[in-house]
Amino acid sequence: MVSASSVGYYLFHPQELRSIIQWKVWHNPVHERDETKESETLQRCFHFLDLTSRSFSAVIKELHPDLLVPVALFYLVLRGLDTIEDDMTIPLEKKEPILRNFQDLLEKDGWTFTENGPNEKDRQLLVEFNVVIEEFKKIKPEYKVIIKDITKRMGNGMADYANNAEHNINGVNTIKDYELYCHYVAGLVGEGCTRLFVEAGLANPVLLKRPELMESMGQFLQQVNIIRDIKEDIDDKRRFWPKEIWSKHVAKFEDLFEPENKEKALACSSEMILTCLNRADDCLYYLAGLKEQSVFNFCAIPQSMAIATLDVCFQNHDIFKKNVKITKGQACQLMLESSQNLKLVCDVFQRFTRSIHKKNNPHDPNFLKISIACGKIEQFIESIFPSQKKPEGAAGVPVMTAEEAAKKKAEEQEAKWDMIYMIMAVVITLVVITSSMLFVAWLAGARFDLAFGQAKQQLGELFGSGSDAKNTIAPSSDHSEL
Amino acid sequence: MSLTKVLVTGGTGFLGSEIVKALLEEKTFEVTVVDINPPSLGTGSFSTVRYVRANIMSPSDLHEVFQEAKPAFVIHTVGVYPLGPKRYKREGSDPVFAINVEGTRNIVEASKECGARGLVFTSSVTVLFDEMGMDFRNADETWPTGRLQTAYGESKAEAEKLVLSANTSDFKTCALRAAPILGPNDVATTAALYRCINRGETPFIIGDGTNLFDFVYVSNVADAHVLAVQNLFMSGAAAGEAFFITNGEPVVFRDFCLAVWKEFDHYPPFQITIPTRLGWWLGWGVEWASWLTGREGTFCRGAILDATDTRYVSISKARRILRYEPKVKLSEAVRISCQHFKEQLKAQAKR
Repeated sequence: MVSASSVGYYLFHPQELRSIIQWKVWHNPVHERDETKESETLQRCFHFLDLTSRSFSAVIKELHPDLLVPVALFYLVLRGLDTIEDDMTIPLEKKEPILRNFQDLLEKDGWTFTENGPNEKDRQLLVEFNVVIEEFKKIKPEYKVIIKDITKRMGNGMADYANNAEHNINGVNTIKDYELYCHYVAGLVGEGCTRLFVEAGLANPVLLKRPELMESMGQFLQQVNIIRDIKEDIDDKRRFWPKEIWSKHVAKFEDLFEPENKEKALACSSEMILTCLNRADDCLYYLAGLKEQSVFNFCAIPQSMAIATLDVCFQNHDIFKKNVKITKGQACQLMLESSQNLKLVCDVFQRFTRSIHKKNNPHDPNFLKISIACGKIEQFIESIFPSQKKPEGAAGVPVMTAEEAAKKKAEEQEAKWDMIYMIMAVVITLVVITSSMLFVAWLAGARFDLAFGQAKQQLGELFGSGSDAKNTIAPSSDHSEL
Repeated sequence: MSLTKVLVTGGTGFLGSEIVKALLEEKTFEVTVVDINPPSLGTGSFSTVRYVRANIMSPSDLHEVFQEAKPAFVIHTVGVYPLGPKRYKREGSDPVFAINVEGTRNIVEASKECGARGLVFTSSVTVLFDEMGMDFRNADETWPTGRLQTAYGESKAEAEKLVLSANTSDFKTCALRAAPILGPNDVATTAALYRCINRGETPFIIGDGTNLFDFVYVSNVADAHVLAVQNLFMSGAAAGEAFFITNGEPVVFRDFCLAVWKEFDHYPPFQITIPTRLGWWLGWGVEWASWLTGREGTFCRGAILDATDTRYVSISKARRILRYEPKVKLSEAVRISCQHFKEQLKAQAKR
């Protein structure tokens, strides 16, 4: 189960190993689902959730009890829709009406779909879709309205793309098309989730008034996936990188994968990453609007993973050769850091932003723009968590003019000379008094030569070496005590 | 509808002429320009604008001009900005104070005398930033000024105070604190960085090279002035207030330099990182060397600190009250400014 290479890796990255252990051993879910109270069909739904989603099922299952089932069903419904859209073995005439009416099928008792191709990995979900419909009936009508609305809009968006022959042959054309595609498959999910959170009273309703924030949440995740999966997608004959971007760097999309075009491919990936990075501050802003811990974790963990993935993809030519991923250890560390508070998530964003900034290459055509995008994230984080206190007290201090400054300088100069004169006066006085006293003593017949000799001797006794000096001093001190 | 009369001091200068252009584009202003210089080649003049030559140090000149023009609003852009190492010294700063402070006092007096309704003053981010060795992260207008160490910063702070304290309900004033401005013909930003190339100064990174810095494109500053005039004219919410005006795109200082050099197809051949402390001593040494040789370099202690400190502000107040939005993005601004400079160099080479 544990490969030799990963043993080697963690031997040299004990910090990451520690994160894995910490997460597995010490992480307590905010809320735990109670399987004993669940119906058989709901248990089956959770079984499908585990099967269909690797990254999301863990965070969904820790959600607040009010949201647990609605969000899980929301996920399964969209997964079902996606499985139909993805399947190229279903003819368009059959596919389109299902995509466009999926929201109504959700209320059709016992509806299942068995015509997916045998290779479609999530086909079993649709084969037993009746369990999802069964549970969907039981949730609050307010939630149903939201899920149906998003399903309808997403299904129609997907149907439009499926109908668009040009899109099927050439992939995404403009950046606008690219963002529209991401809107259908991810931006709408952001909107749906936000409406569910607000409905449950677990997020700030203001989030609904700033639709660009929830849009960015979805866009950021989706765009990172599209950047990371470039190799996988081209192998499956899919293209999501917009022509508007890649055509600036290479003539044909396939040229990106030629080894001799390494520099151009990197420049192209940088531009994709730049487009994505410009959304990062919106995501942090959005996270600030969440009230409940499990909802925060649900939203923050994927975002942290996304910025970390963006960092590994930046200036990394491997994305054109293989699937680049963050390590399991890093993922666990990110989960630890993203399941606490906004400050720690901001630290994560700052860390990866700085790493991206460090790798930014002056030869890259978007060098300055990437640097500015990094600066924007730094400024945003600074605006919600200031690292510096405003200096105090100086506002009242009057500004000095040149004359005042000159005056002050002159005063200081004057003070300095005053001090010098004073010291000189004291020194001169002392010298005069001392020398006149000595002169008087000399006149009176003082023998300075003898005095000097004696002084020298006594000093020698005081500081001189050997115990003699000590002994001579000791009795004298005894004597003085008598 | 009659046009609102606006008088622009320094209207033939780098920023002034751009403000005149922005005012004319609104088509609601009648513009008089007062400047010590006639419109120079390259800055362009406008046929509908009246140009008057006057020295702002002469109150009597100003009195005459203002009485004649009878402006409703005055935009005061005149200021001296010592270039190079002089910027960081106090010696020889008398003309700086004279023009920046006394000149401003004269303009305020003349404006009030002629019955103008308001005055917009071009201030500078240095009223906050010229406290050398101090970092400023996302500072806003509530941060205290007056802790300054350069003649320029001090003189601008004093002038700004003078203008804002003159604000009354009949005579509304505001100050726009612009970040270092770049644009065609700018002298302090593009040209200064260009000179580093030939001096071989580009490989040296002082400090850790991650400090963020603000800049602003000249037409964005001009837009802010027009918005300020309109605000004083209409709601007056800006009266008595100071605003930071930047491009709102703080960028790592080193990256900005690299981006400018890149426009001249220059990439530092190698990079050497010098710790800030060492850089300070080097600057000190170079100052002595240039004193001995009488030549001036880009390097000096002030410039070192200017290049290694973090200095960026929030422009949300200007966005909120003035509805200011920087139209020309920084990447575009660098391209335009350098392109213009390159053409000038080419023209010079031909001559």
